[in-house]
Amino acid sequence: MITVNNKHKLDWYEGMTVQDVLDKMDYVLPLITVSVNEQLVQGVDYSTYEVPDNAQVNVFHLAHGG
Amino acid sequence: MATITKAGPKKYEISINGKAATVVEGTYLLKAVMDAGFNVPTLCHHKDLTPDGTCRLCLCEVEVNGKKRLVTACNYPVRGEIKVNTSTEEVKKHRKNLAEMYLGRWPNVEAIQNIAKLCGATDKEKYKSELTDENPKACILCGHCVRACSSFVIQNILGFAGRGIKRHLTMPFGEIDPNCIECTSCGYVCPTGAIQVADNMNNPADPELIRRHGMRINAMMATLDKAQNRMREVGTANLVEVMDSYDLLPVHNYRFGKHPDTKKIDSGVMKSQYFTQDAADGCWLGCSMACAKAVDGFELKTGPYKGQKVIVDGPEYETAAGGSNMGGFDLDFIVEYNFYCDTYGVDTISFATTMAFVMEAFEAGIITEEHTGGKTLKFGAMDEALECLHEMARGEGFGVEVGQGTRRLKEKWAKELGADPNFLNDIGMEVKGLEFSEYVTKESPAQQAGYAMAMKGPQHDEALLIFFDAINNQIPTIEDKAETLYYFPLFRTWFGLLGLCKLIWNDVIPPSNSNYPPNEAAKIPERVEDFQKFYEGMIGEPLDEEKMLQQSARVFNLQRLMSYYFGRGTREEDIPPLRAIGPATVEEYLSREERYDKQMKEDIGIDPGGKTVEEKLVITRDFRYKHYNQILDAAYKRRGWDHNGVPTVERLKELGIDIPEVMALLKRQEQ
Ligand code: SF4
Ligand code: SF4
Ligand code: FES
Repeated sequence: MITVNNKHKLDWYEGMTVQDVLDKMDYVLPLITVSVNEQLVQGVDYSTYEVPDNAQVNVFHLAHGG
Repeated sequence: MATITKAGPKKYEISINGKAATVVEGTYLLKAVMDAGFNVPTLCHHKDLTPDGTCRLCLCEVEVNGKKRLVTACNYPVRGEIKVNTSTEEVKKHRKNLAEMYLGRWPNVEAIQNIAKLCGATDKEKYKSELTDENPKACILCGHCVRACSSFVIQNILGFAGRGIKRHLTMPFGEIDPNCIECTSCGYVCPTGAIQVADNMNNPADPELIRRHGMRINAMMATLDKAQNRMREVGTANLVEVMDSYDLLPVHNYRFGKHPDTKKIDSGVMKSQYFTQDAADGCWLGCSMACAKAVDGFELKTGPYKGQKVIVDGPEYETAAGGSNMGGFDLDFIVEYNFYCDTYGVDTISFATTMAFVMEAFEAGIITEEHTGGKTLKFGAMDEALECLHEMARGEGFGVEVGQGTRRLKEKWAKELGADPNFLNDIGMEVKGLEFSEYVTKESPAQQAGYAMAMKGPQHDEALLIFFDAINNQIPTIEDKAETLYYFPLFRTWFGLLGLCKLIWNDVIPPSNSNYPPNEAAKIPERVEDFQKFYEGMIGEPLDEEKMLQQSARVFNLQRLMSYYFGRGTREEDIPPLRAIGPATVEEYLSREERYDKQMKEDIGIDPGGKTVEEKLVITRDFRYKHYNQILDAAYKRRGWDHNGVPTVERLKELGIDIPEVMALLKRQEQ
C-alpha cells in the first residue's frame, strides 16, 4: 500500500512506477512536482522510477490559467 | 482528454568517447556530450534557442549500427543506442580549418578568438582576404538574433540575405523595419556586440537587470511552454480537458465537475478544427507567451450578423467552460456566444454562469416558458441561450432579465414568483453580486474563500488555489489555509499594482521549481525573483517578499475599506452559496455519494449508514459551512481584520494608511 498526498491509498505492486501512480490517480496536469519518500523525481524518470511499497508519494500540482 | 499524453519518454544508453551515458530520447547530442563533461566548440548554438546547424563547428562522429558518419551535434536528436566520438582526427582537422576561416574573416572578435583557441587554430593570415573585418564587434553571422526575434517574441524582423560570402544580416528590404518592437532580445543574444541597445525608454535605474530577467522569462517561454501548458499553441483552453480530469470543470450550473462530452470542446478539437492563423498571438506585440487565439472565417448562425463570416478572439478556458456549465458541449455554440458577448460588451463568464442558473431554475420549475417568452431553457438549450443574449442586447424580452445577473434574478424570483429564496441562494452562483468564474470549488475550502473573499467577488484572477486542498492536500490545517489566503491575494494585488500579467508568473514553470518544498514551490520563487528584479531595475530599490506584500497590503486594505463603504466588504458578503462549498441537491449528493459518505465518516465523524440522502445533505452542509467560517475567522485574523472582516485600526496604523479620510470612512460605516 502506498499513500499519495498524505491522503489517498493505492495498492502497491512489484514494478509500480511513478507514471503508474499518476495514471491511477488520473493526474494529467503537466505542471506537477513529484517526490517519493521526500526524494524529488524528475519528469523524465516518471516511467522508470519504481515506487517502493509503503511509499509516501507526493504529487504537487501548480495552479495556472485564470 | 484526447490531447493529454501520459507515456514517459524513452531512454538510451550511449557511449561518448568511451564513457557510458543515459540519455532521454530526443535530447540533442550536444547537450548529452556537454553533460558528460566533454567540450565541443560551437558558434551558431545558443542554449535558449532552437538549433540551427549552420556553423558546422560542433561536428562529431556518430556510429549507428556499425556505420560511422559525421553529424552536427547541436541539432542531432539521440534516437538510439549510439557510439559518439567528439574528437577524431578527421573532426579535429575539419574544426581547425573552419576556425581558421572564421579567424581570417573576423580576427578581432573575442568569440571567434575563443573558438580558434579551442580548435588549435592560430594562423590569422591563412584566410585573410578583402572580406576580413577588423572590427572587434563585427557580426559573425551566428543567427542568434534572427532566432531570438522569432522564438522569444514571435516577430520576424531580422533575417539573412545574400548567399555565400555575400550573406549578411538585414531587416526586410534592407530598411529599418518600423514593426520592430524594440524588445532588445536580438541585442541580448548577440555574442559580439554587433547589435547594441541605443535607447532605454522610461529611464530605468538598471536596464541590464531588467533585460537579464526579462530574457530569462522569454527563453523559458520559447523552450518550456511546448512541453508544459502549450499556451502558445492553444492558450488557456488547455485547461478544459485538465479540469474535466480533476472533476473541476463546471457542468450544469456547477452541479458536476466532468462530463463525457467534454472531448467535444477540448483544446484538441479547438486546435484541429477551430483555431486558425496557426500562430501565437499576444495581447500586446512582443509578449513572449502569446496565448491569444483566433477563429477566422466563422460563419454566424444567429443574431444581427447571421450568415456573415467573422473573426472571433478566443475561446479561452473560461468561455469554453461556460459552455459546459450551460450544457453546451458544442464549439460552434461556444464560439458564437463568445463572438456575440464580445460584440455586445457582455462578459462571457457572467453570461454563462447566469444562464446556467436560469437553466437550473427552469428545470426545477421555478420559471416556465411563460416567463422566458416561450423558450425552453433546459441545460443544453444552445439556440435559446443565444436568443437570450440577443434579447439582452436589444433590450427586450426575457433577455433583459437575464442581463440583470444572478443576484437580481434571485431576489426577483423570490419576491415575484414566491420561489424558495434558500434554494435560489444555494444554487445561484454569485458573491458580492458577481457571478462565479468557471471552476468547481466544492472540494477546495481555500479556493471557496479565495473566491468569496475576493474584492471583486469570485472572479477568474483568483482561481489559483484550486489544487491546494483536495488535490495536493498541501494546506491541511486552518492556519495553513489562512496563510495561503493571506499571501496569494496580496501577491495577486501586487501584479495589478505593477501592471504585470499573471499568466507569465505561473503558466510556464522554471525547472528550479522542483527544488522547493510544496508551499514554497506554489509561489514559483524564481519567477517572483524575476518580478522583484524588474521592480529594482526600474525603481532602483531592491524589493523582498516582505516589502512586496507590504506594498500590496496598503492598497488591498484600502480596497477592502472602499468595499465596506459600498456595503460589500463584510463577513456577510464573504459567504459563498452552498453549491460552491458542497452538494446542494439530492441528485448532486448521489452523483458523488461514495465521496461524500466517506468524508462524513472520516472528517465529520458521523456514520452515514441508515441516513436518508436529505439528512446527509444537511449534515454535510452544516459541517462545511462551519468549517468555512473557521477558515474565514483565521484568514481575517491573519489579515489583521476584525470578526466582521473589517480592517482594524491597528492594522491601518501598521500599514501607515490611518490617514484622516480613511479613519473618517471607518467611523462613518461603524455608525
Ligand atoms: S528588437 Fe526585438 S523585434 Fe526588433 S529586431 Fe530585435 S528581437 Fe526583433
Ligand atoms: S548580429 Fe550578432 S547575433 Fe546577429 S548574426 Fe550577427 S553576431 Fe549573430
Ligand atoms: S553549433 Fe553551429 S552547427 Fe552546431
